[in-house]
Amino acid sequence: MGDAVIKPLFVKGPSLGVRLLVLTVLSVSLMVVDARFDTLKPLRSQIGLLATPLYWLADLPTRLWEDMTLSISSRSELLAENEKLKAEALLLQRRLQKLAALTEQNVRLRELLNSAELVDEQVLVSELIGVDPNPFTQRVIIDKGSKDGVSLGMPVLDARGLMGQVVEVMPYSARVLLLTDATHGIPVQVNRNGLRAIANGTGNPGLIELRHVADTADIKEGDLLVSSGLGQRFPAGYPVAIVKEVVRDSGQPFAIVRAEPTAALSRSRYLLLVFSDQRTPEQRATDSAEAQEAADRDAAARQEAAAPTPAVAPAPAAPAATGENRNGRN
Amino acid sequence: MVETRSRNGWVIWLSLVLALLLSVAPMPAFLESGRPLWLALFLTYWVLALPHRVGMVAAWLFGLFADVLYGSLLGQNALVLMLTTFFVLTLHQRLRLFPLWQQSLVLLVLFGIPQLVQLWLFALAGNRPPEALQFLYPVLISALLWPWVHTLLRGLRVRLQVN
Repeated sequence: MGDAVIKPLFVKGPSLGVRLLVLTVLSVSLMVVDARFDTLKPLRSQIGLLATPLYWLADLPTRLWEDMTLSISSRSELLAENEKLKAEALLLQRRLQKLAALTEQNVRLRELLNSAELVDEQVLVSELIGVDPNPFTQRVIIDKGSKDGVSLGMPVLDARGLMGQVVEVMPYSARVLLLTDATHGIPVQVNRNGLRAIANGTGNPGLIELRHVADTADIKEGDLLVSSGLGQRFPAGYPVAIVKEVVRDSGQPFAIVRAEPTAALSRSRYLLLVFSDQRTPEQRATDSAEAQEAADRDAAARQEAAAPTPAVAPAPAAPAATGENRNGRN
Repeated sequence: MVETRSRNGWVIWLSLVLALLLSVAPMPAFLESGRPLWLALFLTYWVLALPHRVGMVAAWLFGLFADVLYGSLLGQNALVLMLTTFFVLTLHQRLRLFPLWQQSLVLLVLFGIPQLVQLWLFALAGNRPPEALQFLYPVLISALLWPWVHTLLRGLRVRLQVN
């Protein structure tokens, strides 16, 4: 024993101070490079390949527990759940029937308005495999990565609303920054009247704040905030939060508006990744212009063929139709 | 140098990987702010027990991996863990003679200083730092856990004759 303890004293390399200095300089330079440049991103995502199984393993007990409770839950419980799901499916189907007609109408109206906004985006289902261990950040890890086509900045939703965006992509997993993180902001719109604002996270799970809302702005408790699509990152029209509190203090320059996210940020296990439109605004404008020209040509052809009646019949229904469609999505 | 060169070294690395696993294991939200510094605890034990096997470079490398795992700036946790190890190594001769509770008290300071550095780097990276002394809870809890971790790992080391 004594032999083993004493020996290293003689084969010791550089002194502690030297090692401290070298490693400190190395860490600081790594941090600066990582914060300012993109050169370390590939290295990071490669090491991330090793990190994914660790997250998977850490989450294993929870998953096993869930599987177990599922397999021993009683028959009556399952029957009750089945009933409930059937009822829910029926309700959703009814809404879907209405939605199909509304979507059709919406597309037509948008064509008339010369806007080529996407009505239906492509989505990818992913599962949560980990939560960021740091209690002062709001981030989660999901089980889809660059191999599944996930890219940086992709919006993430659950069944009830927007959750956040992808901030780091590894080969088989990705890190998602939630709406409630203190460094996150999202452009929103009050669904009732279209008032625009920016919603910032507070670091508190279950609370976001609207910044720079005028004292006189028409916003009140219970208002639904939907994503406005400005900033080109999040698709427009998805529910984000419900206003919980509006404080109008005449001593403050702006009203304090607090809202609660509609998505179950700390409970959802299955998330949807939305593939947003990859085209640039110019391309989109060109595409919509071409579509418009084609529509015009069609209309002209039809006018020539039939009596000269204007083809703009459903125009007065436009605002009501879009409102209905948004409600249908909630 | 002969037969005691490296026996059962895998135990050390496996226990450190376990520490990494514990540090990302899901926990109830109200316990989250008091999550023990598992990696620092385990590293401290091995550095105290076998300073010729686990040193600052190992701590730094594990910290680097932790950075990737937590998604923090590359080098942030590496610096913090390396600092902890440095303190433990400088106080090594004294720490080994202390009884367990006194070691806990010293570790309160040894973990506390790097945790302050951690907070500073966290704020520097553009995050909003927490209010009050919340970030010191993990330090307190880790110090309280130290006697148990020490006993457990010591049992493991003696039984498997890790050297």
